[in-house]
Amino acid sequence: MNVPAATFRPVSNDEVAMLGTQPIPVGPYHDPDYFALEREAVFKRTWLHIGHISELPGPGSFIVRSVEAARASILIVRGKDDIVRAFYNVCTHRGTELVAQSDGRASSFSCRYHMWTFSDRGELRAAPDFERFFLDKADCGLSKVAVEVAAGLIFINLAPEPEQSLAAFLGPLKAELEQLPCATATALAEYVYEIDANWKLVYDNFQENYHIRFIHPRSIGTATTAPVNPFGYPTRFEFVGPHRKQGLWNNPEHKLGSVQTSAMEPLVGDAMAAGFDALMANSEYFALFPNFFMLNSPLLPFSHTVFPIGPEKSRGVIRFYWNGEDQDATQRFAREYAVASTRDIHAEDRAVIEAGQRGISSGAIKHINFQAQEALCRHFINSVDAVVQAYKAEVALAGVSA
Amino acid sequence: MMTASILPDGFAPLEAFVDRWALTTSLERSRRRETSSLAEMRDFYEACAPRLKDALAYLDSKRLADFDPMDERLMALCLSLAHVALAVEIQGEAEPENAACRHEMRITRTTAERRA
Repeated sequence: MNVPAATFRPVSNDEVAMLGTQPIPVGPYHDPDYFALEREAVFKRTWLHIGHISELPGPGSFIVRSVEAARASILIVRGKDDIVRAFYNVCTHRGTELVAQSDGRASSFSCRYHMWTFSDRGELRAAPDFERFFLDKADCGLSKVAVEVAAGLIFINLAPEPEQSLAAFLGPLKAELEQLPCATATALAEYVYEIDANWKLVYDNFQENYHIRFIHPRSIGTATTAPVNPFGYPTRFEFVGPHRKQGLWNNPEHKLGSVQTSAMEPLVGDAMAAGFDALMANSEYFALFPNFFMLNSPLLPFSHTVFPIGPEKSRGVIRFYWNGEDQDATQRFAREYAVASTRDIHAEDRAVIEAGQRGISSGAIKHINFQAQEALCRHFINSVDAVVQAYKAEVALAGVSA
Repeated sequence: MMTASILPDGFAPLEAFVDRWALTTSLERSRRRETSSLAEMRDFYEACAPRLKDALAYLDSKRLADFDPMDERLMALCLSLAHVALAVEIQGEAEPENAACRHEMRITRTTAERRA
């Protein structure tokens, strides 16, 4: 079989110069005050990826998810009317967290403290000895949270009234995401890690390829590097509002191991059968503001969400989106391999990200530096800082007028 | 006198690996890789990798729901090979230093496991 010779042309420095060329102050990557601003400016008013529609398969299905960045626990329920609703997971009697399980199926939700019971629509249905309160049940429903679904992905927005719909927020990327395996997936795999690092430092690691040849010489190696592209740089960058994308370069001459081949061949077969040929020919990586990645590959159809926990602590959640439960042993084997091989790569990053956090938090340097091929990192901090500065201005203005 | 088979016909050479590598969950498989030496994994790989295609072809002739305990063990060995092959084919001598990093990446669910 003829393998096309590898060719590559990197994005030029000029093409990304509009993002700026200056060093970046380290404050946003460790300062608790900056993190406090991000809680308000980013995480309490932006559409946040929180789950997948396959986790709510039928009426009464629910999931509960922590959003530490907003100090919130969120209950997401598919009602008997098939509508997906989200609420703060907080009893309206005295504020107790309502549901303790992370997922399940229920027709109502009872607070264990005083047995206030809420319907699948969040209404207060029953409360013991309620006539002793000075309340109307109709005023005691769970606090609602905006929730929308795009490409099978569930997003929430903690703003009381979001400034824009999810579709407007995603813009042209929504239609592109709808073409990916996540849009029709019905089965998930997942691995999770905690890390002692600021969420942006974690996120940045996964949007630059400069480190690949040093940190992933074996697990990625010649899959995306070659003499014509020794650093495995992307084929292109794209900036869409606060979101960004990169085209990934694959080395056509990369050789697979024997067991690896036995895993990849059925994954390719499944992807072709599902009509994902075009995706395989055009590798892309989506970075949705603020904390979500999605690889467009139908062979490794994973997302990676970086949840901030504190200024120097985060949680990463990697999820694979599969078309149906395993059909046979070969598919089961291939999917196990896909998950395990991606996990190897993410694991290699973890220690070096924490080392970066220790260095930044030491105060030894005032700035970090991004080269042109780290343009997505620069666009990211520009995007975060724009909303943080806008929020500060808004608060200052409110203070003046108050 | 033969003892009772623990794997389907034709896969007897893998029986010595059942105790160590026929595990129930993806998390257990990932953890077993972490606590195994590269030499142990090479032994398993050298026995199992050449039989992988035959094993999957045999298992594919049945529905997953119809697997008997011997089939389940053979399937579990194939799934462990997915993890071990990463150590043997890809990581090689770098396997020990990367094992500690992987410990922090907890597999919480896969399609190979039945959800309660």
